[in-house]
Order: sequence, then C-alpha cells, then structure tokens
Amino acid sequence: MKSRKVRGRIGDLLTYLVFAVALVFFGGPLLWVLSLSIRTQQEVYITSLRLIPETPTLENYVEVLTTAQFSVFLINSLKLSVAGSIGALVVAAPAAYAFSRLDFRGNSALLIGVLALQMISPLVVIIPLYRYFARLNLLDSHLSTSMVYIAILVPLATWMLKGFFDGIPPALDEAAMVDGCTRFGAFRRVVLPLILPGLTSVFVLTAILAWGEFIVPYILLSKPSLLPISIGILNFQGNYAQTSTQVVAAGGVLAMLPAIATFVILQRFIVRALTSGAIKG
Amino acid sequence: MTKKAFAPRQLIGENTPTLWMAPLLAVVTLFYLYPAFEVLRFSITDASLQQPNYEYTLNTFKNVLGDPVLYKVLRITAIFVAASVVLQLVLGLLIAVAVNRARRRRLPGMVFMRSIILSAWVMPGVVIGIVWAIILNEASYGLANLVLAPVGLDGMAWLSDPNLALVSITIANVWRGTAFSMILQYAGLQSIPDELYDAAEVDGASTLQSFWYITIPQLRPILMINIILITISTLNTFDMILPLTGGGPGQATEVLALHTYNVIFREYSLAGGAVLAVIMLLISLALTIAYRRLLRSEGAV
Repeated sequence: MKSRKVRGRIGDLLTYLVFAVALVFFGGPLLWVLSLSIRTQQEVYITSLRLIPETPTLENYVEVLTTAQFSVFLINSLKLSVAGSIGALVVAAPAAYAFSRLDFRGNSALLIGVLALQMISPLVVIIPLYRYFARLNLLDSHLSTSMVYIAILVPLATWMLKGFFDGIPPALDEAAMVDGCTRFGAFRRVVLPLILPGLTSVFVLTAILAWGEFIVPYILLSKPSLLPISIGILNFQGNYAQTSTQVVAAGGVLAMLPAIATFVILQRFIVRALTSGAIKG
Repeated sequence: MTKKAFAPRQLIGENTPTLWMAPLLAVVTLFYLYPAFEVLRFSITDASLQQPNYEYTLNTFKNVLGDPVLYKVLRITAIFVAASVVLQLVLGLLIAVAVNRARRRRLPGMVFMRSIILSAWVMPGVVIGIVWAIILNEASYGLANLVLAPVGLDGMAWLSDPNLALVSITIANVWRGTAFSMILQYAGLQSIPDELYDAAEVDGASTLQSFWYITIPQLRPILMINIILITISTLNTFDMILPLTGGGPGQATEVLALHTYNVIFREYSLAGGAVLAVIMLLISLALTIAYRRLLRSEGAV
C-alpha cells in the first residue's frame, strides 16, 4: 500500500493535469480570438500558433466602434440590462418576501409555479407577444422590450431573493413591528437593508443574463439604432465574416468584455447566489 | 399553520399575500399565462403572420405532426441534448473534483481556474457562436485545424459536413455549459463531510473506491438536478447556433427551438410555430415535474 504522502503527491499532479487541460480548452479559444482582434488582415492568414502578432494593431477596435455602430449597440445593451434587472428586483422583492414570511394556502405550490416559468423558453412567450405588440404599435420600442426582459428575469430573481430573505430571522421583522412599524415598514427599513448583498448578487446575475439575451430583442427590435450588442454583432458577423475575421474578433471581444469583467470582479457574490438558487431554492 | 376563515378584509391586509404578490401576478399573467393561452389557441388555427384573418382547424396539428422534418429535427435535438448532458456532467464533475481537492489541500490557482471556465458561461450565446465559428474556420488558419494538423486531421469540414456540424455545435454548447454544471457539483462536493473520506481511508479504501462508493452516491441528487437543468438550457438554445451554423448545412443542426423560430419567421406560419411551441411547453412541463419531485425528495421544498 502506497504511503499517504505519495498518494497525495500523485493526486496533486492529477489535479493540475485536469486544470491544465481545462485551461487550454476553456481559455484557448478566448486567447485566440483576443489575438486575432489585434492582427492586421495579412496576419490572420498565418498558419502558425503564435499568439502575439508581429505588428499588433488596435485598428480593428476603432473600426468596430466607429463605422459599425458598436458603441450604440453597447449602450443599448446597458440600458436594457439595467432596466430589466432593476424592474425584476422591484417586482420580485415583495413577492419573495411574502413567500418567505407569510403563511398562506398555496404558498409552496405558487413557488413551484414560479420555478416552472423559468423552464419555459422565451421563444414560446415571445410568439404571441410579437403579434400583440405589433397591433399595439409597441415593436421597436425599448420600453416594451425591457418589460419582457423583466418578465423573463423575474422567476430567477424571486427564487434567489426568497433564499436571501429566509436567511434573515423573522424575529427581526417582528421586533420592528412591535416597535410600531407596519409590516411594509419592517420590510423596507429593516429587512431590505439587511439583504443588500443578496440584492446586489441578484442584480448582477440578472444583468449578466440580460446582457446575453437574444430571442426577445431579435424578434421585437429591428431598427439598427435600437439593437443591443447580441443582435448587432450577429448582423455584423453576417456582413464581415468572409472578408475580415479580425474585425469580427474585435467585435466579439467588445461584446463579451462587459459581462466577463463584471463577473470576475463580483464573482464571490454570484457563485454563492447561483448555487443557493438552484439547490436550496 | 392555522387556516383562517374567509373574510374580504383579510384579502388585502399586509399580512396576506395579495398586495405583495400583485406585481408578480400581473407580470406572470401578462407575459406568461396570456401568451401560453394564445400559443394553445393559435395551435388550433391556420394563422399566418402575413394575414390578419384565420380559422379554427386541427389541420395544422395534423400537418406538423405528420411532417417528416419534425422527426428529423427531434432526432437532432435529442442527440444534441444527450451528448451535451453527458459531456457537461462528466467534465463538470471532473473539474469540480479537481477544484475541490485544490481547495482542501490549499493548492494555488483554484480561483483563476474557476474564473476562466465561468467566463465562458457568462458570455452572450451569440458571441459564443461567433468565437467558435472563428475557431472552427475550415481554412488551414482556423485554430482547430491548426492544432489538429500535426495529428494528420487537417482541413476538417467542421461546419459544412452535416455530422461534424452537429459535433461542432455540441462542443460549443459544452464549452458554454460546463461551468454551471461544475459550480453545482462543486457546491455538492463541499457538503460531503470529510469524516466519510477519513473513515474510508482508515478502512484502506483506494481513491477510486472512495470516489465510487462515497462521492457518487452523495452527489446523486445534485447530479439529477443537474441533468434536468442542462437538458432545459440545451433545449432552449439557439442563439449560439445561428452564427455558428445557422442550422445548416441543410437542416443538419436545426434543433427544435431554431426550427420553431424558422417556421414562424421564415415560413410565416404562426399556427405551425404555435404547435411546435406547444411541444416545447409540454417538454418543459415534464421536466419541471421531475425537478419538483427531486427537490421534494431532498426535503428542500
């Protein structure tokens, strides 16, 4: 039988082997796209694995931001994500509080109902909404589009916020109510400030999801000046892919950067929220 | 919990759920219940996007269910989902075990590792499709072909060969989804008490034995939940496929969600798309019921 120490060493080695392979598979494509985005047209066609080009250039980024309207797309995405996430929090917070604190008939059945909504593809709901909005002249509007964003984000927000409310002892609300607060007052002045970290996690996670949302804006928006980045970049790829990979790569980097940066900076919040949402409810 | 007698005042007081739930119920009614009802209604009509008038008929159902294309689409979807589930589960578990081990032995590099993998998950689906379209470029300067050239696999038609294209969208989907699977299983691993492993080691169990007889059974509920969540997210995927293959070549990578989109917005058949949307709804419903059973058996809800 091998000694404990040797076994530990072999285990460490295997652990790093898994890390190395995973790093190449997950990080490799990102590095490659990053590398392409700073190449000149000629260097795209080089058949070698060198990552740093001989003549690095930021031309591609300039082209994407100026001629291809990427700055407009990025701002639209930001608007829609923020509106969708804030709206989802406003709708979900009181409901999640009720799910966590109030004893009423059908509480858990309703909660499962909310979970079921999350399983529905946005494509299913957007089909009738398209027709409905077309009739009400609400196509090509950021207002109606962000309403649908809210609707899509609300189930997840409700489930996660309920988990955060559950973590605050109900005795606190009761104490506030004994002191003369109404229940709504206790919710607003005592409980909400206490789950601020939770609200932040949910906001960040829903904003990242909204940033990547595709089907809803693809169907509801068509004016170029209103498109978010996810649609803008698809149209752009259609026009550029054949001729200039390096420009498409620069566009891709710009489209992924906000989501990745937000996530990496705030990942401690998100990872915790993510697991509590899926497992504990 | 004591059930109170019905009294109108209690319906709107702040200790009853009505007002708290009102915004949520309004959103659910307008954006879920109403559309779901409309989808059901349109599925029994002959509605088209091009004409305002329609009649009620069961012919659309008959036509869609009798169309051999549907079965081709379902087969492709099943392969795409099954392969994604297996690969994401296995890769996610492997990485979760490594990350968990690194945490317990305080090996450096764990957070960096997790950040890279999760970066793939937080990227917009469309961008994932674009990244992989660049990687799988069929010319000799495409990354996949560059890397595989030394093993003699150069010039692979990643996106224009029907079978390879299905492999390609699966790889891209696994690249995207493994992170979430990893995070769930990592959380599960952390909840397994160390004593179990210590006891097994005292009994002389090998690493493989304790993996098989402790880790896997302890993770079972999370693995099951994971299977359902991966299935749902893969079924709903089509953003990533559009820039990658566009559903092609031919219809080789046209999964159910993309097919539904095409029927409505390319063929303008609102009714036909509604029938397909009903099928998607039924699948989500079945998966939700399974998910609920699992959560219940774990005593979580």
